[in-house]
Amino acid sequence: MARRRRVDGQSLALTAALLVLAAVWLLPIVWVVATSLKETAHIVRLPPEWIPWPVTGDHYREVLFSSSRTARIGRAFVNSVVVALGTVASVVVTSAMAAYPLARWRFPGRSAIFTLLVGSLMLPNAVVLVPQYVLVQRLGWLSTYQGMIVPEAAVTFAFGVFLLRQFFLTIPGELEDAARIDGANAWQVFSRIVLPLSQPVLAALAIFAFRSAWNDFLWPLIAVNRPEMFPLPVALALLRSAYSSESYGPIMAGAALSALPLLVVFVVANRRIVEGVRLSGLKG
Amino acid sequence: MTARRRRQTATAYLFLLPGLLLFAVFRVYPLLEGLRLSFTNARLGRAAYQFVGLANYTRLLEDARFQVSLWNTGFYTLASTLPVLAVPLGLAVALNRGALRNVLRSAFFFPFTLSVVTVGLTWLWLLDPVVGPFNYYLRALGLPARSWLADPATAMWAIIATTVWWVTGYYLVIYLAGLQDIPRELYEAAALDGAGSGHAFLAITLPLLRPVLLFVVVTHVIGSFQIFGQVFVLTDGGPGDATRTAVQHLYETAFKNFFQFGAASAMAWVLFAIILVFSVLQFRLLRGHTEY
Repeated sequence: MARRRRVDGQSLALTAALLVLAAVWLLPIVWVVATSLKETAHIVRLPPEWIPWPVTGDHYREVLFSSSRTARIGRAFVNSVVVALGTVASVVVTSAMAAYPLARWRFPGRSAIFTLLVGSLMLPNAVVLVPQYVLVQRLGWLSTYQGMIVPEAAVTFAFGVFLLRQFFLTIPGELEDAARIDGANAWQVFSRIVLPLSQPVLAALAIFAFRSAWNDFLWPLIAVNRPEMFPLPVALALLRSAYSSESYGPIMAGAALSALPLLVVFVVANRRIVEGVRLSGLKG
Repeated sequence: MTARRRRQTATAYLFLLPGLLLFAVFRVYPLLEGLRLSFTNARLGRAAYQFVGLANYTRLLEDARFQVSLWNTGFYTLASTLPVLAVPLGLAVALNRGALRNVLRSAFFFPFTLSVVTVGLTWLWLLDPVVGPFNYYLRALGLPARSWLADPATAMWAIIATTVWWVTGYYLVIYLAGLQDIPRELYEAAALDGAGSGHAFLAITLPLLRPVLLFVVVTHVIGSFQIFGQVFVLTDGGPGDATRTAVQHLYETAFKNFFQFGAASAMAWVLFAIILVFSVLQFRLLRGHTEY
């Protein structure tokens, strides 16, 4: 009994310590949000004010709607939404279609294709930066949505195939056999039986693709040079140089806005995100 | 091949077609085209260019800035590996058995949902030498404040700290998944034998986590050799060239200052070769004794 209580006390202390550490871990984010809501005069005050008072939405209004700056966050937000959703759609469709035959049918070239795709997961993106730029330029895709979406989708495609193939392998084949006996063709079996059964893993892949497209920085920095086409990370990085270093208010408002969509996804679909990350760890 | 097999093969390739097309055009072709460009004097906007053999590669041997940037990248990779391995591992072990596991995991994971630019801007503000809160609290504690990002002795360490804060949640989730796969009975048996928790960690946890550790190290090292965003936002390679990294140098050579696509492609392939060598070495070193 005494021993039990001691252990409980220990684990209580550990949990308390971890809670404090987690709070400290999130302080930088609190600081960003607090800054974005402060009046300009309060932003640089010392000691640091962690609670913004009086609260103001001016910085958000400025970065979203002011047209005087080179990088407009409102427009960039829309661009990022288009690019991220376009990437999600491309990745989910191409990966699911490719993963299905790799999981189900025997045909010449199957293992070679799969090995090639998995091997490409180790390919550093920086290596293809220059030739990819040359290619996209030749296609006339610089500063376009497809110029951001298609290369981004190509990177995530191989991971998607790996992830979905693993899942398709766990679906029992009897359902598909039954449908085939009833006269369904391969496409009908895939789209009406396999895809509906795969919703959780498709959601995990969609979130993974959304996150990497939403946050990608180096490629759009190179491939986009018209300010009205900048996605958020590029617009934010340039916003920083557009303001003097004392103007943290608008910059932090932009930073907070850029975090918003994934925060929402994170709160709504926490389990899917964790599952997706966990599965990504299995690729090694 | 029977007619049925032939039909199945055709169907399989129809399913694969969109993805393989995407993969061939935007992954395979650029890789090979980059290798070809590295033997040319291609530039942005120059329609005609010649093959120059190994000139781009031999010139890298004399390019002091490229060497400095490689050195910095290597230093960053080496210095960040231990904290990136150890901090999430420590947290994972602490979180694994305790209460509020999922809430705590979410808290530590959250920074990983942010873009590298958002993370960089956040820390730029926190570390502001004059009005940033970090220096304020250091001074309040009687510790010396400094311009962390403008001092060559500390700038790279500030970038490493920023990165650890950013990626810890990602590796934490992966470690936690690995810990879940270790049978609890092993720890109970060890406890019955009188082993302390420290001894159990060394004798059970670490060896059984070996595949997970391998994944974390390889992933981190591949990512580290390509570090760019943090540096771009926090220091732009400065002070001087103290935090200039390989990909940043490549980016500037190809897209900012000189538009030398040939030279930048040679840098990319040197970097690729280094990453390959390190990945293979790590597989060899860490895989060897997985049987337990």
